[in-house]
Amino acid sequence: MKIRAIALNTFAGFLHNKLILLFLAIFLAILGLFSSPLLVMKGMSGPAAAQMDSTVLTLVGLMMTMVSGFGSLLAAWAAADTVAGEMKSGTILAVMARPVRRWEFLLGKYLGVQLLMAIYVLFMFGFSYLLTWMGGAHIQTTPWVLIAYPLVRYAIYSAISMFLVTMMHPVLAVGLVLLISIQAAMVQPGSHPPAYLPGPLRTIVYTLLPSTELLSESRFLTITQASLQKITWDVHAITLGYGLDYALVCFLLAVWSFRRRSLSRD
Amino acid sequence: MTAAAIEFQNVTKVYRRVFREEQVTALSCVSFAAGAGEVCAFLGPNGAGKTTAISLLMGFHFADSGEIRVLGCAPGDVDAKEKIGFLPENFAFYKYLTAPKLLQLHLALAGNQSAEAAARIPELLAKVRLNGYEEMKIGKYSRGMVQRLGLAQAFLGDPQLLILDEPTSGLDPAGRKEILELLVALKAQGKTVFLSSHILPEVEQICDRIVIIDRGRLLREGRLQEMLNLGDRVEIVADRITEEIEQAAAAGGAVVERGAHGVRIVLDAARKREMAEALWSAGCDVVSVNPVKSSLEEVFLKVVEHREAGA
Repeated sequence: MKIRAIALNTFAGFLHNKLILLFLAIFLAILGLFSSPLLVMKGMSGPAAAQMDSTVLTLVGLMMTMVSGFGSLLAAWAAADTVAGEMKSGTILAVMARPVRRWEFLLGKYLGVQLLMAIYVLFMFGFSYLLTWMGGAHIQTTPWVLIAYPLVRYAIYSAISMFLVTMMHPVLAVGLVLLISIQAAMVQPGSHPPAYLPGPLRTIVYTLLPSTELLSESRFLTITQASLQKITWDVHAITLGYGLDYALVCFLLAVWSFRRRSLSRD
Repeated sequence: MTAAAIEFQNVTKVYRRVFREEQVTALSCVSFAAGAGEVCAFLGPNGAGKTTAISLLMGFHFADSGEIRVLGCAPGDVDAKEKIGFLPENFAFYKYLTAPKLLQLHLALAGNQSAEAAARIPELLAKVRLNGYEEMKIGKYSRGMVQRLGLAQAFLGDPQLLILDEPTSGLDPAGRKEILELLVALKAQGKTVFLSSHILPEVEQICDRIVIIDRGRLLREGRLQEMLNLGDRVEIVADRITEEIEQAAAAGGAVVERGAHGVRIVLDAARKREMAEALWSAGCDVVSVNPVKSSLEEVFLKVVEHREAGA
């Protein structure tokens, strides 16, 4: 009951967070701007339409990458801001004066972030179907994959961010999460640009950092090729299990770090 | 003293800056206790360490050494927090909530979502004179209204121990009076109240016990009446006093006031006998000799000034 109350209040806080709302509005405006050519192209017919097909699909792919990337940023920022905001405003003092354990507070906050991200993923899911329809293509993979994979990925980013914000300023925490995600992309096998770290070190960094490539739903979206990738259930289970395990470890680190943290108005 | 609701034993808290050698000793070997059912005032100038001590008490910060017990538990213990109502200094709130929603949230955080507890919310809001503002977002409240709401959430759930950091801060005189009346009512119900305040005449009206700290050190602790009677001055009321005696008393450092019931002479207790004998010898009538009861403000200033002089 306590955790649920904290989670729902955290989510309500996001809906009243002007910074998050502003970013979402700007983001939606950019998406609208990008998607308007699709509407024009959809109206075309004949040889012109056939010529534009590849352009449309490239545009859709680019937009979905943007949406997905923004989601990672949102997950990291929401997790950092919700904990840091309570400290900064001092609202945490009244909350923690209640019979609430520190881990319960963090778990409530974390679940509030996941609720926000679940809604974002549903929006992303609907938006990806809308764009592919506008582009005249269709998604050939099972829908749950497009929901579960980004949720797990955002769970990892928010857990890392929550762990970092128990030790540092939220802007620094989000910056570090960004750096981690870039590093993770750069050290994965076959990444571009080519390896900039010596082989063994690159392997260690790859093992330690979250494997964003594995957890990317774009593996299944396959808009440009419209081809269904055959992945068995056990592979899904292992990949998602790895992601959830990574998120759990990061969350437990956050709980451990928050255990002895001084709570005061910053 | 009755069983202690709050106990500090040689508590030390030092704030250290990360990557700097700078250290601030907020509390140094502080020991005191507040009994169950008492109203205990925690006094000290700004920066004395009051808020730090309250933060330690609530488990927000951790002491470097010493022991703290709250209702027989360690600070931050969930069992103890179930019986505590707390008002932080400058109570902060979720601006997007209304007062009933905030109180419902706090009930949920307390693990109490009974219909009976929820039904008490309007009564509680009326008690702190916030009825009629149920639909208004807290972000639009005035400073005084926020403070009243803070008190309402502290009173929520009928706590056994109330820890209030500056409870009358931001309130107008009428509001302060109402809050003091509420605290008196709580005291009558046998609740323990531990409060910090700078408004000493108000504290004096309701407190049983006083703890004074400054610069992290305990300066004085004891029952209010004992502290107020510690005055080292006496008041002699005499009649038929001559001009010469009056001038001699004033020259000796006594305060002489003429009133309807005679002349009131206030002087150091050490000179009481000398003055009384002089009055008798001069043929005056000595009506009464009484110790001068100090006000809490006088006691507080004397204690703090003495500390500063010794520092």
